[in-house]
Amino acid sequence: MIISLNWLADYVQVTASPDALVERLLMAGLNHESTETVGSDVAIDLEVTSNRPDCLGHIGVAREAAVLFARPLHVPDPRPLEGRGAASDSVTVAIDSPEVCPCYSARVIRGVRVGPSPKWLVDRLATVGVESVNNVVDVTNYVMLECGQPLHAFDLARIRGGRIVVRRAADGEDFTAINHKRYALTSQMCVIADAERPVALAGVMGGADSEISADTVDVVLESAQFAPLAVRAAARGLALASPSSYRFERVPDPAAVEWASRRAAALILDTAGGTLEKGVVHAGVLEGTPAVIRLRPGRVADVLGVEIPPVRQHAILTGLGFVATHPPGAATGEPDAWRAPSWRRDVSREIDLVEEIARIEGYDRVPEDRPIEARPVESSPREVTVRAASEVLVGAGFCEAMTRSVVSEKLEKAASPWGGPAPLRVQPALVRGADRLRRTLLPSLLEARAGNTAAGAPHGELFEVARAYVGRDAAPAEGESPVAEPLLAAFVTGDGFFAAKGLVEAVLTRLAVAAAGGRLVCRPIEIDLFARGRAAEITLVRGPGPAERIAVVGEFPQPAMEAVGLKGTVAGAEVRLDLLEFAAGFERTLRRPSEYPAVERDVNLVVAADVPWAAIAAAIHAAAGPLLEQCRIAEVWQDAARLGAGRKSVVVTLRLRSDTGTLSGDDANGVVRAVVESCGRAVGAAMRA
Amino acid sequence: MSTVPLESFLAELDRLKADAVEALAAAVDADAVERARIEFLGAKSGRLKAIQKLLGGLGGADKPAGGKHFNEAREAVSAALEAAQGRVAGSAAAVEPLDVTLPGQPVRLGHVHPITQTIRRVQEIMARLGFESVDGPEVEDQWHNFDALAINAEHPARDPLDNFYLAVARGADPLLLRSQTSTVQIRVMERREPPLRIVSLGRVYRPDTADATHYPMFHQVEGLYVEPGTTMAHLKSVLRQFASTFLGGDVHVRFRPSFFPFTEPSVEVDMEWGGRWIEMGGAGMVDPAVLEAVVSGFAFGLGVERIAARRYGVTDIRDFYRNDVRFLEQF
Repeated sequence: MIISLNWLADYVQVTASPDALVERLLMAGLNHESTETVGSDVAIDLEVTSNRPDCLGHIGVAREAAVLFARPLHVPDPRPLEGRGAASDSVTVAIDSPEVCPCYSARVIRGVRVGPSPKWLVDRLATVGVESVNNVVDVTNYVMLECGQPLHAFDLARIRGGRIVVRRAADGEDFTAINHKRYALTSQMCVIADAERPVALAGVMGGADSEISADTVDVVLESAQFAPLAVRAAARGLALASPSSYRFERVPDPAAVEWASRRAAALILDTAGGTLEKGVVHAGVLEGTPAVIRLRPGRVADVLGVEIPPVRQHAILTGLGFVATHPPGAATGEPDAWRAPSWRRDVSREIDLVEEIARIEGYDRVPEDRPIEARPVESSPREVTVRAASEVLVGAGFCEAMTRSVVSEKLEKAASPWGGPAPLRVQPALVRGADRLRRTLLPSLLEARAGNTAAGAPHGELFEVARAYVGRDAAPAEGESPVAEPLLAAFVTGDGFFAAKGLVEAVLTRLAVAAAGGRLVCRPIEIDLFARGRAAEITLVRGPGPAERIAVVGEFPQPAMEAVGLKGTVAGAEVRLDLLEFAAGFERTLRRPSEYPAVERDVNLVVAADVPWAAIAAAIHAAAGPLLEQCRIAEVWQDAARLGAGRKSVVVTLRLRSDTGTLSGDDANGVVRAVVESCGRAVGAAMRA
Repeated sequence: MSTVPLESFLAELDRLKADAVEALAAAVDADAVERARIEFLGAKSGRLKAIQKLLGGLGGADKPAGGKHFNEAREAVSAALEAAQGRVAGSAAAVEPLDVTLPGQPVRLGHVHPITQTIRRVQEIMARLGFESVDGPEVEDQWHNFDALAINAEHPARDPLDNFYLAVARGADPLLLRSQTSTVQIRVMERREPPLRIVSLGRVYRPDTADATHYPMFHQVEGLYVEPGTTMAHLKSVLRQFASTFLGGDVHVRFRPSFFPFTEPSVEVDMEWGGRWIEMGGAGMVDPAVLEAVVSGFAFGLGVERIAARRYGVTDIRDFYRNDVRFLEQF
């Protein structure tokens, strides 16, 4: 809302400088955007919050200034002289859809001379950035900018049958606005129609063929209330936002409907001449009187933490137009009772009155040295888990990325490792083409990696901690959202599958998943996200519960790589942090390292080439007993000539150690024998000397 | 058997010590050191061994003094030997000198995103003030995103064009990506009794066209404090403590009136930073319509991107989401 300082001075005489005025208004809730000198005037742009339609007119701002600077406020009382004829003989008004137009009034001025506006009017409009059109249209704009009530003037000759009908538009109804563009309306919108067709899009814009022109002789002056939703539907639906629609969306002062009509009629008579017909043609009802609001003594101090004397409270509210039912301090201990002015529909409760007193008195009165009682808090399991996982990844040299939660179809093609038959869609798209809630972070990270490669960045080793969004397959339980949001830690690396898997294992170790009683199993999987034969899942079993997938790791398939322009091998993994929070509270207990030396033995097992390591390891662990401290692969090789076709040699180093004494050669040999025997039974391994 | 005079024994001992120290100091390589060792400390015919034999020939009264000096001399020679051995060993390893000005082996350092760093810092400061971090869904229903926050059906904030609504099955309750993290506070109030001190944080979504100061996805941190007898003075004091810790020094905060549906009174919070008032976020007393009980409380919200951008000198917030390693590595 742009304010002209000269114009403001019509209502309140503030002696302070423009800067001081701006500062006080700022601290009372009218944010300052800019100040500009326009000719001999000063234009001040103020940001008005949506609850204060009264400040979308000069009088409202003047009222604030009057209270803040303790100056009297002068509001004109327009009483235009009525001449011959009755408005009700010239036009009729019918409201067909009261839910979109609670009240409508029309005045008729005959015999105007449409022409340029007087200089004072042109200047004031110019200060606030409104171009002069003609003396009638300018008056309607001027009065809107004065009191916040939008008005519209029609050429009476173009209102067929002298009939004004306010109704919902028909779906698809054709309308040509003042801007000479044609629009197809919907039934959410409200129109002003004459006997035949719409002449205005209610509260938004007039029609092209009923506008005031140089030929106009008789004017119908509309002042009405329109429902905010109908106005918004038209303004946004047709991209036709106007100063008028902006105000109707915020609901102007109902009492201004009549005031603005009289004010505009008087100004039109002054600037364009003509004769005002008697009376006003009115339809609908205006809202009733606002309810009484009680303000308990002491309530202001209870909320603000500072006393404001009752006399001061009274002066503030009275200055803002509130009316007290009894004088301050008249009743002992009784709450004050206040009636809000018609332009303050936003004030209806006790707390609203407290806010009014606080903002005028100034929040600098509120003390800033009231400490709160100390209370210790702990990090939540989720915080602990997220931080531990990201520590591992940062430690491994990864940079944390933040990619969009909503992605394009290109990034949401592959089936998700976390379920959900199809991605959920949002409207509108987050950015062009991105309207799918992602079910995995990996494609986004792959794209971010490709961006780094293309930009020649030093590397593209990225991780992210974020949610995926998965529609539940089954109906949600009571109180449960239909959308599950698994919390994921995902990363991409150019170091291949085993580097990725090693990192996942490091994260799981750091989170103490196994130590806290979880059993982890790694298996090959086939999913679209990863290349065939290059993907695994890790599942977790806790207690009697079913196995749950908690991580996937794999190398990306060529098509996905090519789609983002990446070459070589890129691996990635995704870990379900939300399923690992259980381990956050795990308390570690020391297990003292053994004081005795370890014994290492190599075991050379020859097995079929397709026997996975997991099966061999399981056979070793099943037989080795408590002396086995570690078993690791020393070497794997294949040689058809020496081992036979389809066979491989797996050399395993067993490290054995006892907590209670030094192991003898016989002790170690016993373990090796048991291991070899177990591997022979379980995976058909033969011992190779 | 004639006795050996103490003076000549000591003189012999001193000469041996001086010879040994000189010979060992002059030895340039391991062989020379070894030769000196054999000459002076050799177990069979070393010169020290020879003098040790003279010890027995000292007069009874001279023996303690002779023994003491002998031990001192032996320790001195041994120390000189060790020093010489160390010296020649060191010189052997230093045969191939390194260009020590070459760079060390590079270690790739990982980096936490500046937005995460900012969030964690806010969390840590608020934790010291007793605020616990809480989490909630990003896909919300209309009740938690609007109704419970006193944003009624007619409020422009609910407009489909101003929110990311999910396409849901016909007849199902509309869902949307949350437009503020206050939703989490409602969820906490639904299941927990006051007193409460919580901060909710995370991603929020509003259909703004991306530019240097807007992005349709951003982060919020919102605090909620519910306790009987809470006033705006508590709100201001907590925010001042936060600002002083976060920005350093004794920072003042300023309230300007504002309007949010779920707080009343509502204020914009400015903090003094570099001699200027900087807008940090919104705050207010929890609206009685939101907090049904007679309990009082306050709430505040901070825009994480705005704080992080100012803190790190980022002039285009889209940079936070470009994921360029050359950007991320700087934090």
